[in-house]
Amino acid sequence: MTISTQTSPNIGAELLLTDADELPRRRYGRRGRRRGGPAAQRTPLAASIVKWVLLGALALVMLVPLYILVISAFKPQADIILHPLAITPDMFTFDYLWNALTSEKFNVVGAYGITLLFVVLVNIFCIALSAPVAYVIARGRSKWHLALLLVFVSGLFIPGQVTLIPVVFVLRVLGLINTIPGFLLFETAATLPVTIFLFAAYLRTVPRDIDEAAALDGAGRIRAFWSCIFPIMRPVVATIVVLNSIGVWNDFVSPQIILGPGSGIYTVTTGVYAAVGEFSTDYTVLFPTLLLAIAPAVIFFIIMQRHIIGGLVAGATKG
Amino acid sequence: MRGEGVGASVLSASVTIRKQAHMADTVARMAGTTRARTSAPARRRRSAWQDRLAGVIMSGPALLVFIAMFIVPMLLAVVLSFTDWNGYSLRFDFIGFENYADAFKNPRTVDAAIFTAIIAVVGTLLCNGIGLAVAALIAGNSRGNTVLRTVFFYPYIISALIIGFLWSAMLAPQGAVNSLLAQFGLAPLPFLTDMTFAKASVILTIVWSHFGFNMILYLAGIKSVPTEYYEAATVDGASRWQQFRNVTLPLIAPVLTVNLVLTLVGLLKAYDIVLALTDGGPAASTQTIVYQILKDSFAQARLGFGAAQSVVLLIVTAALGLAVTFARRGADRKASES
Repeated sequence: MTISTQTSPNIGAELLLTDADELPRRRYGRRGRRRGGPAAQRTPLAASIVKWVLLGALALVMLVPLYILVISAFKPQADIILHPLAITPDMFTFDYLWNALTSEKFNVVGAYGITLLFVVLVNIFCIALSAPVAYVIARGRSKWHLALLLVFVSGLFIPGQVTLIPVVFVLRVLGLINTIPGFLLFETAATLPVTIFLFAAYLRTVPRDIDEAAALDGAGRIRAFWSCIFPIMRPVVATIVVLNSIGVWNDFVSPQIILGPGSGIYTVTTGVYAAVGEFSTDYTVLFPTLLLAIAPAVIFFIIMQRHIIGGLVAGATKG
Repeated sequence: MRGEGVGASVLSASVTIRKQAHMADTVARMAGTTRARTSAPARRRRSAWQDRLAGVIMSGPALLVFIAMFIVPMLLAVVLSFTDWNGYSLRFDFIGFENYADAFKNPRTVDAAIFTAIIAVVGTLLCNGIGLAVAALIAGNSRGNTVLRTVFFYPYIISALIIGFLWSAMLAPQGAVNSLLAQFGLAPLPFLTDMTFAKASVILTIVWSHFGFNMILYLAGIKSVPTEYYEAATVDGASRWQQFRNVTLPLIAPVLTVNLVLTLVGLLKAYDIVLALTDGGPAASTQTIVYQILKDSFAQARLGFGAAQSVVLLIVTAALGLAVTFARRGADRKASES
């Protein structure tokens, strides 16, 4: 922890520097080493101990429920209740997990497939619909383009739950209630405001020279967009895919109400609700089902952690 | 609150609209000169109407979907809120403001609204207090900090419904928490069976699953503060706390605003977690406003009444979101000036 003592002479040296090129380089170099900000400073031992005890306790509070969820999926009811934290070879069994996996009430594998299909399709539809309109908005200079942006952005202020009731009515009129196309239509529409907003903001930073180059090569506007501009949008598309995927995978209210129990189509969340809802005191059903439901999301999160967190931060703060 | 990863970010984005528009303006202005120069030859090559047609083709489908699933339902919600439609029959009558009057008189709705307000206020304070404190403590890039970030954040990517079921099992009379209390020789606590305990359980479960998201946003904000400021503060002999109070906090004001609005507006929509954790009980003490809306609209077949409550929720949500953004305008501006 000698960094902080080095700091003051360095700042002095920096102020005295006359070479304009030297300054940013030195600054950048230092910053790379000491990104931590205040945390990089010297802390008294006692404060440090208090800090790690607090963080450790909080980490336990976060992890113990996950631990209980995982081990309870392999234990009989009595052991789950009497020994919540223990798992010994004589209580260990795959039976309950197997029962949950092959349950008649909730076809887990089918639900994975359906939900994954929804995630993929909503992403495709969302991007296919949003990217061109965001491009038109970003490149447009008339008041119509501004109006178009404002219309979509107004959707940011409308909570899904408020429109869900009349959406059911609209879908019934269209004959799409309790159908997959109806659900995809609503779920895709729900992603449009954020997506168009983020895409348009990103496209404004893409130089027009690229459009012009494509136009000079004789490409029409639509082809120029998909072949020249869209590939550049990869970072913002990744952000949107993260946001949409988490949103669609975890959504419960929309599939529950639009698909409805009558349709026989269950996503992971509506399936869990159907399987567990009334039996939530039978832990040998509850825990294995929950474990199966969270496993793909948690594995996906562990693998894609960096991208997921980056995407969420970008979606929330940058816009 | 959650169960709407996208929904949450929708709100977050709404907060940054002004900032964004501002940024876009700047970018446009900066790009302006180049733009004017290069666009002229292309104009000649492609006729104006072709361009316009392409524009319509590119924006038409999205606009149609948006109108069908946002604009029309919005207007319908307002119209339906003045009717006694049950959602199934072919006929209904316009009953004026009766649904709205009922919404403000009906004790169930009023109780749900009060509990939702408590969730929103207490939840927002706890999520942001814990999120900000933890973010400040683990802002460094050490390996331990990276692991802790994952540990604190992971519940956010799990569906709120599943979080609810998990904690309903943990907090049940025979659940893990009471079992552990018994092992320490303590009496069991009625986490989900006593009205006050149940309310606290709902709020704490929400905070447990949500503060990690706030923490991640605060971390991003703290890391964007230039190190030079801390160096200067250190030279001036500022303590860690003084640095946090006088350097970090003012500079991350916009992140604080985004977090406050996001959490507040998100928690006003709490539903999934309540459904799974307490199902509104005991004795309807933990019903939230969205729980109420969905129950009235579908289970009770009073779609008009549900629509009226939705419209009120929409107005309150938008008003609160704008109010917080407005109240924090001064702090936000100071941060962007420095």
